Amino acid sequence: MPDILRFRGPALRPFLTLAVFAIAFALLPQYATGEVGTANIANVLTSFAGIGLVALALGLTMIIGEYDLSVSSTYLLGGMLAVKTGGDSPVLGAAIAVAAGLLVGFVQGVVIAKLRMSSIPVTLGGFIALLGLVYVLSNSKSVNYSDLKVTLGLNEPVLTVFTERSLIAIGIFLVLAGVFAFTWLGRDVRAIGSDRKAARTSGVRVDRIVIGTFMSSAAISCFSGALLAYSLAYATPNRTVAPLVFATTAALLGGVSLSGGRGNPLGIGCGVLCLAILNEALAVTGSAAYVTYLVTGGLLLIVTIVDAPHLLRWWRTTKAAENLRAGFSGRPPAEAATGGAR
Amino acid sequence: MSTDVATAPTGPGPARTGAGGSREAATRGAFYGAIAVFAALILYGAISTDGFLTMTNVRAILSSVAFVGMVAVGTALIMISGNLFSLAVGSTAAAAAMIFLALLPHGIVLAFAVTLLMGVVVGAMQGFLVGGIGANTIIVTIGAAGLIQGVALWASHGATILPPKGDTSFDWLNGHIFTFAVPIYILFGTVVVLDQFLRRSRFGRRLKLVGENVEAARAAGIRTAWVVIGAFSIAGGLFAFAGLELGAFNESGSLLIEGTQTYDAIAAAVVGGIAITGGRGSVWQALGGAILIAMISDILLLRGYSEGIQILVKGVVVFAVVVLARLNRMRAES
Amino acid sequence: MTENATAQPAAGTQPLLSVRHVSKTYGAVRALDDASLELASGEILGLCGHNGAGKSTLVKILTGQVHPDGGEIAMRDAPVELRDPLDAQSKGLAIVDQELALAPDLSVEENLFLGNFDLSLLRRPGAVRRRARDLLSRIGLAVDPRSPLEKLSIGERQLIEIARLVGRDARVLILDEPTATLSENEIERVFAVVRELVREGRSTIFVSHRLDEVLDLCDRVTVLRDGRIVASRSTADIAHRQELIKMMIGRELPPPQRSEAAGVAVGAGAAIAGLRVPPAVADFSLNVEGGQIVGLTGQIGSGTSQVLRALAGLEPDARGGFTLDGGAVRLGAPAAALRAGVAFASNDRKGEGLFLEKTVEDNLVATRLDSLSRLGFIRGGALRETARRLVDFVKVDGDRIGDTVEHFSGGNQQKIFLGRCLDREDVKLLLLDEPTRGVDVAGRAEIHQLIRQAALAGVAVLFASTELDEILDLSDRVVTMFGGRIVASLAREETNAALISADMTMSHERKEVAL
Repeated sequence: MPDILRFRGPALRPFLTLAVFAIAFALLPQYATGEVGTANIANVLTSFAGIGLVALALGLTMIIGEYDLSVSSTYLLGGMLAVKTGGDSPVLGAAIAVAAGLLVGFVQGVVIAKLRMSSIPVTLGGFIALLGLVYVLSNSKSVNYSDLKVTLGLNEPVLTVFTERSLIAIGIFLVLAGVFAFTWLGRDVRAIGSDRKAARTSGVRVDRIVIGTFMSSAAISCFSGALLAYSLAYATPNRTVAPLVFATTAALLGGVSLSGGRGNPLGIGCGVLCLAILNEALAVTGSAAYVTYLVTGGLLLIVTIVDAPHLLRWWRTTKAAENLRAGFSGRPPAEAATGGAR
Repeated sequence: MSTDVATAPTGPGPARTGAGGSREAATRGAFYGAIAVFAALILYGAISTDGFLTMTNVRAILSSVAFVGMVAVGTALIMISGNLFSLAVGSTAAAAAMIFLALLPHGIVLAFAVTLLMGVVVGAMQGFLVGGIGANTIIVTIGAAGLIQGVALWASHGATILPPKGDTSFDWLNGHIFTFAVPIYILFGTVVVLDQFLRRSRFGRRLKLVGENVEAARAAGIRTAWVVIGAFSIAGGLFAFAGLELGAFNESGSLLIEGTQTYDAIAAAVVGGIAITGGRGSVWQALGGAILIAMISDILLLRGYSEGIQILVKGVVVFAVVVLARLNRMRAES
Repeated sequence: MTENATAQPAAGTQPLLSVRHVSKTYGAVRALDDASLELASGEILGLCGHNGAGKSTLVKILTGQVHPDGGEIAMRDAPVELRDPLDAQSKGLAIVDQELALAPDLSVEENLFLGNFDLSLLRRPGAVRRRARDLLSRIGLAVDPRSPLEKLSIGERQLIEIARLVGRDARVLILDEPTATLSENEIERVFAVVRELVREGRSTIFVSHRLDEVLDLCDRVTVLRDGRIVASRSTADIAHRQELIKMMIGRELPPPQRSEAAGVAVGAGAAIAGLRVPPAVADFSLNVEGGQIVGLTGQIGSGTSQVLRALAGLEPDARGGFTLDGGAVRLGAPAAALRAGVAFASNDRKGEGLFLEKTVEDNLVATRLDSLSRLGFIRGGALRETARRLVDFVKVDGDRIGDTVEHFSGGNQQKIFLGRCLDREDVKLLLLDEPTRGVDVAGRAEIHQLIRQAALAGVAVLFASTELDEILDLSDRVVTMFGGRIVASLAREETNAALISADMTMSHERKEVAL
């Protein structure tokens, strides 16, 4: 059996996290008003389809130890291009969106790989420029998509809980999970994130894989935007970094590490499902918009803190942390301090 | 000096003669280069664009510099500390505008103090996460942006905050001295003071050491967490101050006020030539970058290009600058 | 000795690898000058020489990292061109560097075949596992091929790297200082594997400073000096490493200089009691008096480095008692240690020492900004004066005080780095980890002189070194560690190289002597 399917150690963590979220959600009616049923599962899968692929796109770049800030722009760009060019043929519109993603990913990937640059400054430029492009394309306004058949079709329920749209998203996740599990590519991707120099010295074609990862990332992100725009029947320019918040949180919950080398598509999928469940819980309990901001922002900060490299060093050596520890153990700080120094 | 010769064979090190002057020469070159870019842009604007070299337009450019420059200077501090940039600039500024206007009924002094304090505290908390426990700046700041927006929405119930009717206590912020708006003077004053502070203070020296190599700074007994917290705190204060001025200028405050400030701030710092890898740069460079960005935006605006084109051009400029800086560095190393 | 330079390998058959008249020049420096050597199949060749002798240039040429200016390289008499490391590998020339080319997040088998092109795109777990088991058994390593690499020790990882290169059919294996980071046991294991591989007809070039190991492992040894090959001899003809040293430096080793006044206690010094740094240091207690130089030695992994780092406040898990002149010093806080009078120079000059893009002045004053400022502002005059004084003190060209440190040679960089720690009125304990790493003989003497001066001024000095010459040359007391504990603490007069070597390795003879 491929290693990736033998769940153990860190690879298991995203699934456990998902289980905790799911159980908590199932228990929700006992603590708050609201019903939990198949409709909720359908909603969870719908929000999975809405933003899951962006998390996948960003997560791929995080596995190779990079961070693609521009996904939040390629996501908008994909939607805008699809709506503008897909009027007659939705497939053509999606294809154009994907092609644009491949081009964007290629340019950024080549610069990052060949000039050995950090991805953040490069994709920052791409992020701002593409955001501008979206505003230019849309004339700073929402653009409607006229083919209602496509919109309705994508949102048509399949097997009660699925929609065509969520099935497409799940399909892409499964394809990439398959690539990771059954080919050597997934290993090379993780090797690059784990130790790029070692990968290069060993003969892994690092530059090609970095460029390929950025191309896939941008293409997936653009496609995801197209899918969302078709299913909402419009695309809108929007300069929030909300997709980035969501995607990063999902990837980190899904077992990807900011330092690279860890994670796989299935784990990222679990991370997305966690957040989708959380969203649905907020909706079921009728929480206001600000609660969503607070919860997602807070959750992101928490997973970032847990992932932070020097957390333990701080905890073990800082006086403030010493007081905190003393507080937890119920001992006065002075005693704890001498205990530590003994 | 014999050691030089004897160890040289182990690597293709550069000849030692004259190598030392190169950085100084490079700095001088960069300075003249910046002057040349400004001159070229002014010349281009003057020739190609009607209404570019008029007093009204200069005043307009400077007005936008007054806001963008302030956030760019804050971003510069974070960048010099070796922690890239904050993506919470706009949110902090917008929240500051709302707090300032909401507190005006309690007197402008209190409103000022609380607003700036909010900026400093929010900055310091992000600084702790970044400098104290090594969390990633980008992620911390987008998380913080989300939280700030959530709190602002909760406190304002989604409404736009307006100053009390007939309140004129903040009008001086929108006034003019010798034809230029007051915030311009505040900005220049801030830059002068901050520049001198960074040059002369122990904090300024430590900031650059931490920015270049945080582990070496730690081993040298520098409390790196406090230095980073300091940089983020000052930056947070500056972001809040910019937001406050913006709130006073617009006489309304909402989350929408943030506009493109986050990107403008980063673009200005990067275009100003502050090393995105940290350790080098001055607040004057951030100001220069802000002026450059404002001039480019202004030319595009005067020639009737949309907001989208303006953002697009800024993005392309940022991309070009970081790539050129990298190519330059690679040439120097080879 | 040069007449031996082209000595033929023992076997008269066609050599596996031939290096013919290879030269390389960097700027004005001739790093490698008309070097020729031959390697028979089944032979282990030692490559020795001081820093800057041209060893690493030759290795880089053989692995395709550097292209020679002239001369040629041939495998089985057929000239080859080595475009890059991968090209060299495909032609049978592979290197095991100190920095291993392995990805810690991957499993053992994923690492074994990392970068292999002979695998089909699809993973076939069964076949791969069989190949992995086969390779692992050839190096005698009994680990699960699926276990993550990070669970393996450094020595095991090195064996994995060797196994990988064997799997790629490397004919000539170049081991560059492979034993520097290994324990005695692990070294034996690596040597056993190398001997086994050589029996299969492969050859090995063993690059090392550890001359006893060279004499132990190699059939023949080639000595480089100033870019030239000065000797190439069978190890059977070399009775003692002293002969090798003579070839390497071209003269007798000068007798160690001892400073007269050292050893006279002036101040109170440092007292360390029951220091623990899990997992590296189990228990460490030592007093270092003011004016005393204590040399700390042991193999890499014995915990010497961690002791110094812990005292400097850089090990978060360190626990134990540490007082300086009677005052307790908090562990785990570098700033507190500095304030208490501890100065530390890491063995990682570039990563954890100097600020390469900053000027000499900035670097020299980096640790003393507190004493050079008033109310948070720098006193410019005092700062410049201090920097000027220090730059004279460490004997670096004063005209270059405004230059960035990256432009200086290794020796001068090290002097600038030490200048930061030496000559501070408020330094009570000086901690130096490998104070002369990457520094040549002349620079080393200067640095030793500086350290003695600090001790003469009453500073307590605790330094760690893996080089016995340095330990014997500099120390008033030699403390030897093994496995995180002190195994011997002897005054300089009571000890010698043989005794220290025995202590470092906990060899039998020594244990018997101790009993």
